[in-house]
Formats: sequence, structure tokens, C-alpha cells
Amino acid sequence: MNMPLYGQMLKNHMRTMTSYAFGSAFYILLMFWIYPSMATQSESLNALIESMPEGLGKAFGLENGFGSIDAFISGEYYGLLFVLILSIFSIMTSTQLMARLVDQGSMGYLLSAPTTRIKVAVTQAAVLLTGLLMITLVTTLAGYGGYAWFIGNLSDFDSNGFLLLNLGAFLLFFAVCGLSFLISAVSNDEKKALGIAGIVVFGFFSLNLVGKISDQLSWMQHISLFSLFNPAGIVKGTVSWTPVVIILLAIGMAGFIAGITIFRKRSLLL
Amino acid sequence: MLTVSHVTKVFPGGKGIFDVSFTVEKGEVFGFLGPNGAGKSTTIRHIMGFMKPEKGYVRIKDYDTWKDQGQFQKQIGYLPGEIAFMEGMTGRSFLDFMSSLRGGVNQQRRAELVKRLQFDDRTPIRKMSKGMKQKVGIVAAFMHEPEVIILDEPTSGLDPLMQKVFIELVLEEKAKGTTFLMSSHSFPEIERTCDRAAIIKDGRIIAVKNIHELQAVQRKLFEVTFENEADRDAFLGSGLKIDSFKDKQVRVSVQGDYDRFTQEAAKYRIRSIDVFTLNLEDIFMDYYDREGRD
Ligand SMILES: Nc1ncnc2c1ncn2[C@@H]1O[C@H](COP(=O)(O)OP(=O)(O)OP(=O)(O)O)[C@@H](O)[C@H]1O
Ligand SMILES: [Mg+2]
Repeated sequence: MNMPLYGQMLKNHMRTMTSYAFGSAFYILLMFWIYPSMATQSESLNALIESMPEGLGKAFGLENGFGSIDAFISGEYYGLLFVLILSIFSIMTSTQLMARLVDQGSMGYLLSAPTTRIKVAVTQAAVLLTGLLMITLVTTLAGYGGYAWFIGNLSDFDSNGFLLLNLGAFLLFFAVCGLSFLISAVSNDEKKALGIAGIVVFGFFSLNLVGKISDQLSWMQHISLFSLFNPAGIVKGTVSWTPVVIILLAIGMAGFIAGITIFRKRSLLL
Repeated sequence: MLTVSHVTKVFPGGKGIFDVSFTVEKGEVFGFLGPNGAGKSTTIRHIMGFMKPEKGYVRIKDYDTWKDQGQFQKQIGYLPGEIAFMEGMTGRSFLDFMSSLRGGVNQQRRAELVKRLQFDDRTPIRKMSKGMKQKVGIVAAFMHEPEVIILDEPTSGLDPLMQKVFIELVLEEKAKGTTFLMSSHSFPEIERTCDRAAIIKDGRIIAVKNIHELQAVQRKLFEVTFENEADRDAFLGSGLKIDSFKDKQVRVSVQGDYDRFTQEAAKYRIRSIDVFTLNLEDIFMDYYDREGRD
């Protein structure tokens, strides 16, 4: 870690990171706000969901229905929107932290200072993870706030389930950030890095979605990272955490370590 | 102080640098001359440890610049050929950032440099002209008083006045014992400061010479305009090396022998004499031709 670099990079990215965090907080509050009006019609909504093809409901996290706030938030927010926000954050930010600096040439200034490439790369990875942590934390806090504000007494809130949702999302995106960081660290071209990371991340995302919708294609979700984050299962308590945690941490670590090592050894066109 | 030893790097497409070797002694100002695309920046990228040499190595003091990252930079100042700063910074915030990366610099020294180069460091870098960015880059390369300063085309974008300030700066630092390596594609630009220079062409070093030797072999082209065409004809027969002529104008190529040129020219009525700017190949035709014949 190089502290001056960490500080400067956080400063450079603080604006976008807070936009993501507050955007996410805003959406989750919106979800809590509209829930009561949905709940009054939950029976007809549940009937509607039942009339839909089973896969479609699953794909969009509707299988738990609208009966409880946890089911609603896990399906509607953590099942889709939050995943999209964090996907975009991971792809954009990891590209900006490594590939862009190499592409533009400003990495040359960092490396002409008395620091090593490993320190630079570790610092950039730390900035990325700080952003991820910040967005998840702000969203979590907004969730508690939303419950207290729009739903009722916090003591009735399934706090455990909600925290696990956020933990699951953080772990998934630790892995996704690891992969997009690796792509960014080996690229000389910012646009290429962005394109490849986009294809990989949204590729995984789509595999998961298609696999859930179609029974014939259900194998697809098993090769997708995103299937390791199952919000509906987390709320129901049916997720076996051990393999999920191990796999996601391992993939994320492998991505970061590979990215840092390759960056140390490659010729840079600065 | 700085040794480049047999450094080779071939890019896909066959361009690159081939077996580049030279040494810069402590306290020396070393010029690195070559036309566009000769491989100056590529060599400097190897010196800075950005690129891994396919063959050979670069040493600064006792450090291998590829293997010993993080150790040699403390004593190095670097000005890239194409300056790129991080977005959203002003000159001042960039210099602050570079100082903090270097663990702090002498603020008085930094302020003095900014003052001498005459720029407003509160301007956002995005809005700076090329010359202003160059000045910020020069301050960043000099402010921590490094032992070795590596400059890739330092005067590009600077107006003549600032070029003069820059040259003074280099000479002052040289007097303090600082070692310099600077690339350029113009000989007049480096001859005022450098002790020695290497000439590179198509990725190969074709000469490493003392600046006085280079000055002695450099060709200059004088464009002499006569009052009368008859004088011109007489002049053409004087035995001087004539490059070309047209109407009352003659271009004479002179290499070291200025006495003979002035004596011959003094015999006639002359309307004007201009020095014709030559590119590197034409100034050092001797070296380039020899290379061509090999
Ligand atoms: N990444 C690369 N891939 C392929 N060719 C390259 C690459 N980088 C440089 N080259 C080629 O290598 C040669 C040397 O380039 P270099 O930038 O070192 O020249 P230079 O002497 O600095 O020129 P200039 O005076 O224009 O700055 C050029 O022909 C260039 O096109
Ligand atoms: Mg160059």
C-alpha cells in the first residue's frame, strides 16, 4: 500500500463512488416506500406471479412473492437493481484504476516515484474494494433507515437476513471486482479493458438469468458466478454458506493476485 | 552513474531498439539525439524500468532499473515525452501529489522553480497549453533535487525565452553535480548544455561522441545572396562545397572550415547570408552515410 496514492485515488473517485452509494440508497428507500402499497394488493400480485411461467418469476426473484418485506426487498432490490448497480461500478471503476492510467500514460508518473508496481497495484485494488464496501454499507444503512421510516419498528425487522443479503452481495462483487481488476491490470487500452470486463460480467449475469428462466438451459446458471448470490434463498435460509463464501473469496483473491503479479512483470507502453 | 547495456526490444512489425549501449558519467549532461521514431522514447522507457528489455539491462548507480523497482527512483527525476497527468488536477495539486509520493520535497525549491518558469499553478491542467504542461512536468522532474534527471524532449512546447530559462536551469544543476540524460531531435538545442551525445537512428546507436567532436563534424548550410550574378559564378568556382544554386543565391555546405568560407565570401558584394536549418541527417551526414554504407 502507498498511502499518498490511496488518498489521492480515493479523492479522485469519491464523487462517483458516492453517486453509486447514494443512488443505491435512494433506490432501496424507494423500495421500502412503495412496499406498503404493494402489500395491500399482495394477494392479487401473488396470484399474478403464479400465473406467470415459473422461470420468469424466479429469474426476477419473485418466487418468494410480495407477502413480506424481506421477500420483496430480496427479490426486487437485491435480485436485480443492486446487482446491476454493483456490476457497473465494478467494471467502470476497475478499468479507471488501472487500464486508464496506463492508456493515458499517467501511470508513468506513479512509477517514476519511489514505489513499486506491486504497491501501486495493491493500492488501486484497495481503492476499488473501499468503494465496494462503501456502497454496500451505505445501502445497508439505508435499508435499516427505510424500514424504520416506512414500515415499522426495527425490532420487528429480520435484521439477520438483511445483513446476510448485503454480505452475499459484497462477496459476489468481491469476486467480480477481482476478475475485472485482472482484466484492467493486463490491458494497455482502456476501451478494450472496459469492453472485455463488460462482456465477462454481463455474460455471467445473463447466463444466470437465462438459466433461471429456462429449465432446459438451467445448466447455464451453474457456470455463472452470479448464481452464488441467491437473495431469495438467503432470506428463506436455504443457502449453504460455506462453499459460497469459499468459492467467491477464492475467485476474488485469485483475480487480484493474478492482476497484481502480471502487472508487476509486464512491459508498459508509457 | 547510468549504464545502458545492449538493450534490445523489437516491436511487432520489426521496429524497436537494437543493441543500444552507452554510459553516462556522474555530473555529465548527456544528449540523446535522433529523428522522429528513432527509438529515443523507447530507450528512455527502458531506462525508467517501464519496459522489460528483451536483451541487455539498464543500471542506475547499482540498481537494475527493471529488477530493482522502487529503489532507484528516489534519486531520479523524470520528464516523459508525452505528458499525461491524472484528470481533474491543477498544477499545484499535481505537484503536491508528486511531492507526497516522494515523501515530501523542499517547498522553497519548488516555489522557486514555479516562479522561474512563470506559470500559474492554480490553473486546472486540462486547461493548460502544451508549454504550460511542459513547465509543470519540468518542475516535477527537478523539485526533489535528484541526482539523475532524465528528460524526454524537454524543450518541446517551450517558447524561446523559456528554452533559455530551461538551459540556465540545466547548467545550474550541472554545476551542482547533477547527471542529465536528455533526448532531442535538434542538435542546436542540446549543444549548449551537453558534454557528450549519442546519435540514434532506426533503433541503433550510430555514434557516441564528445560535443566538440560533433560540433566539428556538423555541417551547416549557408544561403548566400549576391548583388551580381557574375560574382555568383566566380564564387561557384572557388572550390567550396556547393549544395545548390539558383539566380543570385548559392547554398554552401560548410563543415568546420568557416575561415575559408568567410574569406571566399568576402571577395564579393553580398546582399545577405542566412543559415539554413538542417535536420539531423543532414547535419551529421557523415555518420548517417557511413551507417548507410555498412
Ligand atoms: N508499442 C509499440 N508497438 C509497435 N511499435 C512501436 C511501439 N512503440 C514504439 N514503436 C515504434 O518504435 C519506433 C521508435 O519509437 P520511439 O517512440 O522510441 O521514437 P522517438 O525516437 O521517441 O521519436 P520521437 O522523436 O517522435 O519522439 C517508432 O518507429 C515507433 O513507431
Ligand atoms: Mg519520443
